[in-house]
Amino acid sequence: MSEPSISRPRRWDKPFSLEPGSEDEMTDTAVEILLGKPPFSEIDPAGFKRSLPLHDIIKNDARIIGFDDGDIVVRRGDWGNSAFFILSGNVRVGLERGKPTLPDEILGRHDNKVKTLWESFAQLWRNHSVPEVRKLDSVFSKSELKTRHAHNSTRIYLQEVSAVLDKYHTARLDAGHWFGELAALGRTSRVATVFSEGVSQLLEIRWQGIRDILRHDQNGKLKQYIEDAFRERALAAFLRTTPLFHDCQPELMQRIVDQVEFHTFGNYDSPKPFKDLIENQDHTTEGGEPVIIREGDYPSGIVMIRSGLARISQRHYNGRRTVGYLSPGQIFGLDEIRAEVQSLTPVGCSTQLSAIGHLNAVLVPTALVEELLKQNGSVGAADLHEVKTHVSDSGSNSVKINDDTLLSQLVDQNFVQGTSLMVIDLERCTRCDDCVRACSTAHDNNPRFIRHGPILNQYMVPNSCLHCVDPICMIECPTGAIFRDFAQGDIIINEQTCIGCAQCASNCPFDAIRMVDIRDSKGNIIVDSKTRSPLTQATKCDLCIDQKGGPACERACPHDALFRVDMQDAAQVGEAFSR
Amino acid sequence: MKHFWVQQRITFLVFTVISLLILAGCYLFSITLSKTSFASGTILLLCIFFLASYQLRKKISFLPLGSSAAWLRFHIFIGFLSFVVFALHSRLQIPNGLLEVILFLTYYIVFLSGIFGWFLSRTIPYRLLSRGEEVLFERIPMHRNKIHDRVKTLIFDDAQPEQGAALPDFYHKHLQEFFEGPRHQISHILHSERHLHQLKQKISALQPFLDEQEQVRLQQIAEQIQLKDDLDYQYIFQAIIKLWLFVHVPLTYSLIIFSLYHALAACAFASTSG
Ligand code: SF4
Ligand code: SF4
Repeated sequence: MSEPSISRPRRWDKPFSLEPGSEDEMTDTAVEILLGKPPFSEIDPAGFKRSLPLHDIIKNDARIIGFDDGDIVVRRGDWGNSAFFILSGNVRVGLERGKPTLPDEILGRHDNKVKTLWESFAQLWRNHSVPEVRKLDSVFSKSELKTRHAHNSTRIYLQEVSAVLDKYHTARLDAGHWFGELAALGRTSRVATVFSEGVSQLLEIRWQGIRDILRHDQNGKLKQYIEDAFRERALAAFLRTTPLFHDCQPELMQRIVDQVEFHTFGNYDSPKPFKDLIENQDHTTEGGEPVIIREGDYPSGIVMIRSGLARISQRHYNGRRTVGYLSPGQIFGLDEIRAEVQSLTPVGCSTQLSAIGHLNAVLVPTALVEELLKQNGSVGAADLHEVKTHVSDSGSNSVKINDDTLLSQLVDQNFVQGTSLMVIDLERCTRCDDCVRACSTAHDNNPRFIRHGPILNQYMVPNSCLHCVDPICMIECPTGAIFRDFAQGDIIINEQTCIGCAQCASNCPFDAIRMVDIRDSKGNIIVDSKTRSPLTQATKCDLCIDQKGGPACERACPHDALFRVDMQDAAQVGEAFSR
Repeated sequence: MKHFWVQQRITFLVFTVISLLILAGCYLFSITLSKTSFASGTILLLCIFFLASYQLRKKISFLPLGSSAAWLRFHIFIGFLSFVVFALHSRLQIPNGLLEVILFLTYYIVFLSGIFGWFLSRTIPYRLLSRGEEVLFERIPMHRNKIHDRVKTLIFDDAQPEQGAALPDFYHKHLQEFFEGPRHQISHILHSERHLHQLKQKISALQPFLDEQEQVRLQQIAEQIQLKDDLDYQYIFQAIIKLWLFVHVPLTYSLIIFSLYHALAACAFASTSG
C-alpha cells in the first residue's frame, strides 16, 4: 500500500499574512518599521522568550491590510478573533446611541455555506466508506456575498458612505487607535460594526498574538489601554444590554461609566482552573472558587458578568448548595439594593456569588444603583414586581431550575458553559442510536459523538462539543485552526490549518475533541514525510454547520429524547429541564 | 406535562373525527351501490406506503424534513387510522383465499408489533435506568469478558499453592456458566431477581468453609456477580428493543409486496369480484 505523505505542519508554518484575505506577506522590514513606532516601540522586547520574540509574533500573527471607502472591517455580532490597529487613514464605528444602528441587510450578513439539497442527499452514496478522509489540497471556498474584490480579497462594503454617515450614528477612529481588541480578548462578539472611511491601512493581529504580547509586555501599557478602551467605548452599550439600564439618563449613565470598577477572577489563559474544578469533586468556594460577594455581606454594588460564569450558592446545613448561576450580561445584588432603598436599612445578601473559572465582571456602586432605581421609579411594591418580570423576561435574571441537585451538578461539572449542550433524557431514550447514525451520515460516515457521557439524574450529557461560552479549547491553539464561526458563534475546526498538536483536545474539559488519523480518498493513512508517523487532526461536533436544517442528531431522535440547550438562556434552561 | 395531555386529547379527538368521516363516507358510498372496497383499499394502501416511508425518513435525517419525533407521532396516528380502514376493508372477517389470509395475518402482525414497539419504547427506558450502568449495546460483550476475567483472576491466578479447592470448585459448579454469556433473560424480563437471590444463598452457604482470605475474595466475586447480572439486565432490554425492529420493519416490506399484488389482482378481476 502506498503511503501518501506530507510534512507535519507547525505553528507559524502559515503566517497570518498568508491566510485568505491578506494582501502581502509580512516582511522583516515591515516588522522593523512597526517596532520603531508607538505603541510597539513602547513594548519592552526584553521580556519576551527567545523562542517567541516580539518580532516573530508581529511577523507571524499580524498582517497589514488596506481597506477602501466603505469596506466593512468587522461587523457587530460577529465573533472576534483578532484586533486592529489603525496605521493610516481612519475608520468609522457604528454606534447605537440616538440613531438606528446599521441594519444587517447593508452589512451583507449571509448564511453559512450549507450543502444544497442535492449535495445533502448525495451524502447517502458519496460519503467515504473509510474513516476521516481529507482533501489536503483543498482551499477555503470563497464566500458568495454581495461584495467587491479589492486588495486581493473579497470585501463587503457600504455603497454610499456619506448617506450611511448621515443616517446612522458613527464615531471616527484615526490612525494610532486600536479597535476589536475587547472582543478578541474577551472572547465575545463584536459590539459594533467598523468600516473604512476613505482609504485606510490597518494592522490586524490575531488574538493568539495579542495574548502573547500581553503575557510578556512588562510595561503593561497595552493592558491599561484595553481597560480604558472598554470603559470609553463599550461599557455604556454593555450596560444597556440589561433592562435596568435601558432608560438610564445620559448624565447618570456617564457617572456610572466613570465609576464602574472592573474585576477579574481566575486566570485568563489557563485551562487549568476548569480542569481542576471538574476533577475536584468538592466544589465549594473553599474548594477553589473565588468569592465575589459573600452570603450575608452588604453588596457594595451590583455585579454584572462581562464574560465567564458565576455560581450563586446558599448555606445548607454545613455546606453550600448551588441555587443558580449567572452568565454574561446577568446581574447580582439588585434585589438587596432595591430592598434597601425600600426599607432604608442595609440588606445583606441571602446568597453568595463566586466565580467559576475565569470571570470578568463590572461592579456598579450601590449609590449609583439606588439613584438609578429611584430614577426608574421602580421602588414601590407594584413597580418592583413589574421590573422583576421585565428583567426575567429578557433573560437577565440568574438561571435556575426546579431541581436543586441537577442544577448543582450542571454547574459543578461546568456544563453551564454550553451554548448548545447536548442532553439525552434517558427516560425517553430507547438507545436506538438513530442520533449517532444521523450524525455519521452528516459527517462523511464519521460520527462526531457516541452515546456516552456523564449521567445527571435521568439526563445523559454525551461527550459532544458544548460550544462553550468561553471555549478554552481555543486558548492554546497555535494556528487558530479552532475558531468561532463568523456568523453563528459555533466553535469549528478548520481542517486546512489544524496541525494535529492536540492542544485543543487536551484543554477541552469535556473530552469533546478526538484526535484522528487522517486518510486520503483511497483510505491510506497519511504520514508525515519526515517522521513517517501518521498525521492526526482534531475533530468534534460542528453542529452540522454545512447541513440544511442544523444538527441532524436532534432531528433524528424519534422520541424527542435528545435536545440541545443554550445554558445562557434562563427561559430555555427552565423549559428544557422540566419537560 | 399539562401541554402533553392537551396534545393527547386533541390527537384523540382528531382521530375520532377522521375515523367517523371515513366510516360515514364509506357508508354513503355504499348506499349508492358503489364498491367501497376500492375506496377503502386505496386509502389503506396509501396509509401503508406512508407508514413504510418513516423508515426511509430515518435514513435522511440530515434533511430538514421535520423531526423524527413528529414523524413518529404521525406514524402512530396513521397506524391506528389504518386499522380502522383495514377493519372496514376486511369487514372484520377472516378472508378465505390463501393470499388474503397471508395478507390478513401480515397486517395484524405488523400492526400488533407496532403497538408492542410503542409499548416497549415507553417502558424500556425506565427499566434501563433502574439497574446497572449505562453501557452501549455493542460494548456489553467486552464488559462481560472483563468481569469474567476479573473473576477468574480472583479464583485462579492469585491462588497460593496451598490454597484449597473450595473457590475453584464453586466456580466450576455455579459460576462458570453464569459468567460465560448473557443469562436469566426471562427472569430479567419478568423483573425477577430470584436467580441472584439463589446464587447469593449459595455464597452464604459456602462462607463458613472458607478461610479469611478466601472469604474476602468471595466477597469480591459477589460484587462481580452483581455487576454481571446488571449487565445482563441491560443486555436483554436493549436486545429486545433492537430485535423488535427486525420483526416490524421486514414484515412491513412484505406487507407492501402482498398488498400491491392483492391490489393488482383486485383491479384485474374487478368486473368479476364483489
Ligand atoms: S471543544 Fe470542549 S472546550 Fe471547546 S467549545 Fe467544545 S466543549 Fe467547549
Ligand atoms: S435517537 Fe433518541 S432515542 Fe435513539 S439513541 Fe439517540 S437519543 Fe436515544
